[in-house]
Amino acid sequence: MDHVFVIVIIFLLLNICMGLIRLWRGPSVADRLLATQLFGTAGMAVLTVMAGYSEDLTLLNVVITFNVLSIILVICMVQVRKKKKKETP
Amino acid sequence: MELLTDGLLALLTAYLAFRCMLAPKLSKTVFTFFAFGLILALMWIRLGAVDVAIAEAAIASGFMGVLLLDSLRDFSPSYSEFEDNIEQPPNQVAFAKRSLSQWVPAIASGAGLLLFLFIALQAVREVPAGGGLAAFAEAKLPESGAEHPVTAVLLNFRAYDTLLEVAVILMGLLAIFAAGGIRQFRKPSLPPAKDPVLRKAILIFTPLLFLFGAFLLYIGKSGPGGAFQAAVLWGAIGILLHLGGWRIFNALSRRMRRIIIIAGPLFFLLTGFALMARSGTFLAYPPAFAGFLILIIETLAAVSIAAALTAIYAFLTD
Amino acid sequence: MIKEVFVVILLAVGCFFFLAGTLGLLRFPNLYARLHALTNADNLGVGFIAAGMALYIGSPWTAVKLFFIWILTLLSGATTSYLIARFRKEHDDSANGNGK
Repeated sequence: MDHVFVIVIIFLLLNICMGLIRLWRGPSVADRLLATQLFGTAGMAVLTVMAGYSEDLTLLNVVITFNVLSIILVICMVQVRKKKKKETP
Repeated sequence: MELLTDGLLALLTAYLAFRCMLAPKLSKTVFTFFAFGLILALMWIRLGAVDVAIAEAAIASGFMGVLLLDSLRDFSPSYSEFEDNIEQPPNQVAFAKRSLSQWVPAIASGAGLLLFLFIALQAVREVPAGGGLAAFAEAKLPESGAEHPVTAVLLNFRAYDTLLEVAVILMGLLAIFAAGGIRQFRKPSLPPAKDPVLRKAILIFTPLLFLFGAFLLYIGKSGPGGAFQAAVLWGAIGILLHLGGWRIFNALSRRMRRIIIIAGPLFFLLTGFALMARSGTFLAYPPAFAGFLILIIETLAAVSIAAALTAIYAFLTD
Repeated sequence: MIKEVFVVILLAVGCFFFLAGTLGLLRFPNLYARLHALTNADNLGVGFIAAGMALYIGSPWTAVKLFFIWILTLLSGATTSYLIARFRKEHDDSANGNGK
């Protein structure tokens, strides 16, 4: 069973590595933010699997931390743009 | 098998740090830094430091993320570059033609760094297992008022350090105020966000953030969590409401803002002096009240730090 | 034994959805398509992996916590997708308006 978990963790980390290509290629800031969202969800999945793998359920608290904060970057980007629009009409 | 995961994480950390430093565009740097923060949190978990992982997750993807995105807008020369479809030609960093003599110092310092790392690794390996102060701290754990060793060290055995850390955040806030010049917080004049989905999302996530922060604060007694992690989550509430147009921090009166920001460090300091008058040692809790005192100090410190983080954001972005 | 087979199947399905989302993020031609691929597939991936781990750990409270995590992921995923799409659409509209 442990081997399965390690394989899943590595697979998800490789997913993150592939997402990095989109992060660097862009082309817009929204695309980069989307890649960051992929890292967030894949990281949460990695942490969930790690919680079972190391039998440490406190890791789920880290998952919830990522989860409740994942929205703040997107809201910040959308609202930041609003402000700029006001300054240069 | 574990070596494979850890090796991949280590390689990714080093590689992302490298790419973050050398990225040609500012937006690439910022977003690479977010990825770096995530990998770093995973790394801390593999090292067994769940407390640090929670703090890293909260600070890197919450507070730092918001500040970095905001400064990305400020540093972009024009609005269009912030979200352009067309890739800008990268700034050519003078990186190419160097003569051999210029490489010598770089190689020498690199070799020196490797040597330093090697010595550090040796030093880490020479600490006897369970030695150092860990055994001593474990032995005194029942008297500390906390069941989690990290909390016991942070708020009892080395409470002095934590007091100074809380004070450092206050100092940071003062430095930002000083550098920003004389400026008032703008009164809440902007209307709340019009978009219904945005409003609803903020209104759903605000109580969740509050609840989970309180949970982390409470669970800090017996497991990973604690005042700093809770403070970042509560600070995120302030930032989220601020972004949505509900400027609660600006709506408070000037005196109220000061009281909230100062309450945590002040109570901590006064407790320290009161206990010094009683027993002669700064911040020596009596074992009977230790748990209660730690809970109050942590709660007030969390509220103060959260207010300070919100103040930093509100001051920098207004 | 049966339980472990189910855990492996759930994890494999979760991984498949993650792979689909990542490939969509990399290969699709524009932002809207990428949004669609990533946010849908990743939410399912997190759901299946959380279900697999809930089955593996086997305690009902952990299962509730993982379910809560999945609901939160769905919520933030949907909001993220909507907000980014609206952000880009407003930009596109204003760019087209200025072009004329």
